[in-house]
Formats: sequence, C-alpha cells, structure tokens
Amino acid sequence: MDKTRGTDKGMDRRTFIKVAGMTGLGLTATTFGVPTLLRAKPKTIKIGSIQPATGPLAVIGQAQRKGNQLAVDLINSRGGIRSLGGAKLELLLGDSESKPEVGRSEADRLIREGAAVLVGPFQSGVAMAIATLAEQRGVPFVMDVAALDAITQKGYKHVFRVFITARGLVGGAIKYYKMVTESTGVIPKRAVVTNTADPFGKGMSGGFLKAMEKSGLPVKIVERIQYPLGIQDLSAEVAKIKAAKPDILFPVSRIGDSVILVRELYKQKVPLMGIFGPGSPGWYEPEFVKDVGKLALYVMTNVPWINPLSPVYQKANAAWQKKYGGYLDTNSAYAYTGILVVADALERAGSTDTDKILAALKQTNFKDHPVVGGPVRFDEKGDNTGAMTALVQVQPDPDPLKRVKVVLPKEFAQSDKIVFPAPQLWER
Amino acid sequence: MDVTLALQLLVQGVLLGGIYGLIAMGLSLIFGVMGVINFAHGQMMVMGMYVSYWIFVLLGIDPYVSLVVVAAGTFLLGYAIQSSVVNRILDYPEAMQVLPLVAMGLILENTALLLWGPDHRSPQTALGLEALWIGPVMVDVSRLIAFALAILITSLIFFFLKKTDIGKSIRAAADNRTGAILVGIDVNRIFNIAFGIGAASTGAAGALLLPLMPVSPHMGHDFTLTAFIVVILGGLGNLMGALIGGLILGVTESLSTLLLPATLKQVVSFSILVLIMIFRPRGLFGGKK
Repeated sequence: MDKTRGTDKGMDRRTFIKVAGMTGLGLTATTFGVPTLLRAKPKTIKIGSIQPATGPLAVIGQAQRKGNQLAVDLINSRGGIRSLGGAKLELLLGDSESKPEVGRSEADRLIREGAAVLVGPFQSGVAMAIATLAEQRGVPFVMDVAALDAITQKGYKHVFRVFITARGLVGGAIKYYKMVTESTGVIPKRAVVTNTADPFGKGMSGGFLKAMEKSGLPVKIVERIQYPLGIQDLSAEVAKIKAAKPDILFPVSRIGDSVILVRELYKQKVPLMGIFGPGSPGWYEPEFVKDVGKLALYVMTNVPWINPLSPVYQKANAAWQKKYGGYLDTNSAYAYTGILVVADALERAGSTDTDKILAALKQTNFKDHPVVGGPVRFDEKGDNTGAMTALVQVQPDPDPLKRVKVVLPKEFAQSDKIVFPAPQLWER
Repeated sequence: MDVTLALQLLVQGVLLGGIYGLIAMGLSLIFGVMGVINFAHGQMMVMGMYVSYWIFVLLGIDPYVSLVVVAAGTFLLGYAIQSSVVNRILDYPEAMQVLPLVAMGLILENTALLLWGPDHRSPQTALGLEALWIGPVMVDVSRLIAFALAILITSLIFFFLKKTDIGKSIRAAADNRTGAILVGIDVNRIFNIAFGIGAASTGAAGALLLPLMPVSPHMGHDFTLTAFIVVILGGLGNLMGALIGGLILGVTESLSTLLLPATLKQVVSFSILVLIMIFRPRGLFGGKK
C-alpha cells in the first residue's frame, strides 16, 4: 500500500484514541444513563438450528427446521422468555447438507453469529461432529433427533439428547415385536434385515441384530443387506431378499429407498408375513403413504412417535397445518420438543450464561411435549430418560393422512387391532 | 450359487444398463461434437423427470406418452444453454469450461428445489407395478419399456446423425470446426442443435426413469457421475460405446451384488473407471482424444 493513501483515508493513532474514547464514553453514558430504555426493549436469544435442509435428507431436514421454527413462534407468541424480560427467541439456520464436516462448520458459523444454544441435526454422524465442537466451544447442544448411543458416551458436559438412544430404540423394537407375535400367535422363522449404510443405519441394524440374538426369540436372521444412502435402484437387493426366503423383513431405511423397496418387493412377488421396521424413517411419511398407496398398508414401525392424544400435540399440529399444511410428523414434533426444552431451560436459568443454562438443562423435568413418552429428564450422560417409542401400523383409512396409527403401547393406541400377518403385497 | 438369482440379476442389469446408456449417450454426443463435458447432465435428466411428473400429475398423461413433450422441452433447454453459455466458452481452457456448466447444474438443481420442494416424489404410474414372469425370473415391465425405448431413441439419433443434412453437418462440425465454417455451415446453430439433442435424450431418459424411482432435486449429481463412468467406459464421444458401456456397467453393478454388499456398488463402478483409464484410456471402443 502506498503511504499517501494511508494518511489520506485512514486515521492516525491519536485520532483513533480520541474517537474510540468518545465512543466508549458515549456507550457508557447510554448504558448507565438511560438504562430503563434499554431494558424495556427485550433482547433476542439466538438458537442455532442445524438440519440437513438440502441433500438426500432434505425432506426431513426442512421439516425439522419448520418444527424448530414453529416452537420458536409459539414461545415468542406467548411473550418470549419471561424470566429474561420477555426476550424473544430467534432461530439461526444452518444446513448440514447431510455431511458431518459441513454440519460442523455450519455450527461453528452459528456460534460465531451468537447462538446461545444449538439444536439439531437429525443425523448421528453430523451430531457427533457438532457435539465435539459444542464441547470445545462451551455451547449447549440439545439434539432433537439423533439416536446413535456413542454421541453421549464421551462424557461431554454440553450435550443433551431429547430423542431416544439407539439402544432404547432397539429395546422398543424387540419389546413390540415380541408383543405382536405373542398376541397374534404368528411366529415368523426367517428374517432379512436391510439397512442404509450411513452411521444411523449401520448402528441401528447392528444393534437390532445383536439384541435379536440375545432375546432368544424364535426368528433367525438369515441375511443382512446393506446399501448406500440415496440409492436409486434396489432390484438386485430385492432379488437377494427373495432368494433368502424370509417370513418377515426388518428394514432400516430412509425416505426414498422405502418406496423403491416396497415396489420392488411387489414386482418380484416376495412372499412375506409382514414388514416390521425396527426404527427408521421411510414407512410413515405422508409422501410414502400417499405415493405407495395400498402397498404401504400394514407396515409396522417401531418409532419415537407423536402422541396424537395429547393436547400439546393437537395444538402444535393445528398450528402446523395452518402454517405449512400436512401434519406435524414425529421428526418435526421432536424438533419442536427440542426448542421447547431449550426454552424451558432458559426460563428457569433466567440468564443466557452457559453455566446457568447447563445447570437448568440438567434439572429439566418437562412434561408438556407432543411426543409419546414420559417427562423429559436428562441422566448424567445427557440422555432423555423419558424417551420412549411406539409401534405404528399403516391401516386402511379413506384419508391417507390418517392411515398411520399407533397400535402399541395401549395407553397411546389409536387402533386396538394389529394386522399380522398382512395380506401379500400383490393380493391387495 | 443360486442360478435363479444370478439370472434375475442379469436381466435387471441389462435393462438398467440400457437406460444408463441413454443417459450417457447425451453426454457423449455433447462431448463428441463440442468437446465440452456437460456437468449439468444429471440435473437435466432430473428436469426431464420433473416435467414428466408434472404432466402425469396434472394431466394424467403417462410418462411413456409425455416422453415426446419432455424431450422437446429439454431440447429447447439444451439449445438455450448452448447458445447462451456454451458457445461462448468453447475456446476457453477446459478447466474454465467446467465452471459455467457446474453452475448450470446448480441452477437447475435449485430451480427444481424451488418449484417442487425437497420431497421424494414417486407417483403410481399405470404400468409402474407390472411385471412379466419368465419361469422364476421377473421382468419389470417399466424397465423393459424403458430399455426398448432407450434402444429405439439411440437408433433414431444414429439414423439422424448418419442420414439427415443436419446430422451430417453436426458430424462435420465435430470433425473439423474450421472446415465446417469454411464450407458454409452455421456452426453455432449446429452446436445448439447438437446440445439440444444431447439434452433431449437425457430428458427422455428422465421420463423413462420416473416410473422406476422417486424423483428429488438432489439426485442429479449421482447420475452425472454414472453417465461419466459409462462414457469413459465406452470411449468419450463414441455413441455406440455409450450404449454398450451402459450395459456393461448395469450388468456389472447388478451381478456384483451376488458377491459383494451393495454398499460396494460404487466401488465396483469406480474401479472399472480406474481400470479403463489405466488400460484403455480412450475407452473400450475408442473415442475422441
């Protein structure tokens, strides 16, 4: 740089000190001189939301975002965080693109932009990356959806999980599978497990396989088929499933592959007593139920589910329908719950100081949420001890949006009959 | 080894390979004529899928019928891209040709996201669930039709390039651009048409795929890569090579699931790519340098 420019446009040290001093004085004067004015205007608390808003899981990612936003809107319309003078919540948006490294850098950006708490991120791989960062930066991270056990096993102080753990999810799957087979007296002998080869899919189906083995249930897993996330063609995989001659299929899938899978099962006429999802998306989303029509019927899935009977859900669902159309599904309901839990902690903390928020989060005992399960309480690892799954089954109903029904546990059930075995796909 | 399973996988591989071939042919044609690699290729195919989706949902017209309209639409899209962007970058270094086309892909992808949202859409088409049985082997009807139409479209393009005046001009311009200009061919217009045809065949492939897989805005990228592998396998710029390359890739991917987990499918396809690059750098059937 040449020297003339420096003296022309810049300022020398003395001017700088003078200006800085005066600005400082001015600032002090406003802060101390007219404090009421400033305090009367509630400040906003920024919450960083990192979801896979684009990429293979964009459908879910955007629904998660909407779930976060809906809860923020609710809190703000109720008058914000009262213990902080009615401070409003503001959602900062981050997009993980389904990639851990992107999720991490987005989290980093949101922290720099002033996020007091982070929520998200739907995928366990991404959650792992963000958890490490949150721990380093000392920012509380409340996972709304992410199930892999390992995320909370590292003794992190800043990481909490509203969602169920993979272990809890697997436990639910075994429990409900047992209840279904015992209550109907239909006992499948051979089974095939399929899963997407992302951290969630692998961990979930791996845990399920182990738990199945330990459970002593009379079903033998004869084949495990894994395929990459975002696959467009499953004909070869289904040919393999058919060759394995299973009575029942345990798919751990994502949106998109479930459609291809069930259509291919139909086309290749794979005889099955039923499809039982140990716990994964793909089998209950409105697009799936609508697009696949009668092929979607009787699929059972063990899933952390909305509590359709609770007033909190009904209210949130009405707000969702008004704002976005469709209905508040389980993922977005958890996204919604995540924000409610954060708001509850902020309310009790009465401060945006990290230590106070952490202390409040640890004391959480939050009942007014829209999902199946007990009150949200965190154990010493940060996992929600109230988290629980339900068993849902797609059952005939003229309105596709009402076809997914809770069948177990009884206290949350919307339908008291479970259809098992299901009619073959091509005989419907 | 289970013979039925192997036969089933073979049939599915061949049928899928035909569609791979059609997708790749557009890429190969565009490279063969203009010497640019169309990085927006998969996204164009997704556009084709969406347009046929729209026609199906709004007007109830089956993708096999709307194919013609979709191809015409993507032809115009290709024509516009070539005349507005690609013609201006033909003489640039290759690295600089990449960026505008990657950008084009991003624009198309995000346009799809804006227009149709992020959902995976997969409407139930009339023949979407039909299947034929040859003994214990299932032949997916929508795949079979897609395969047959892919072969038909490929042959039509061949015929067009060999026999018609425009086709001959395209080949002339591909062979020697300066020479073509000297004998009075409007090379820019010919290039527009060539890109349009490449795009149209891709759009048509998209319509053929609609009954087979859910469409979502972000799936284009994978198909660009697949098309790329196929084209390199068959020889860049060699149209017949693209079709045969597609078949080889389809069959290999399908049969590989006999021995390997499906998660290694891409390892198989990219290993083929690397092997071809090492041993036959100009593809199995030779291509443009």
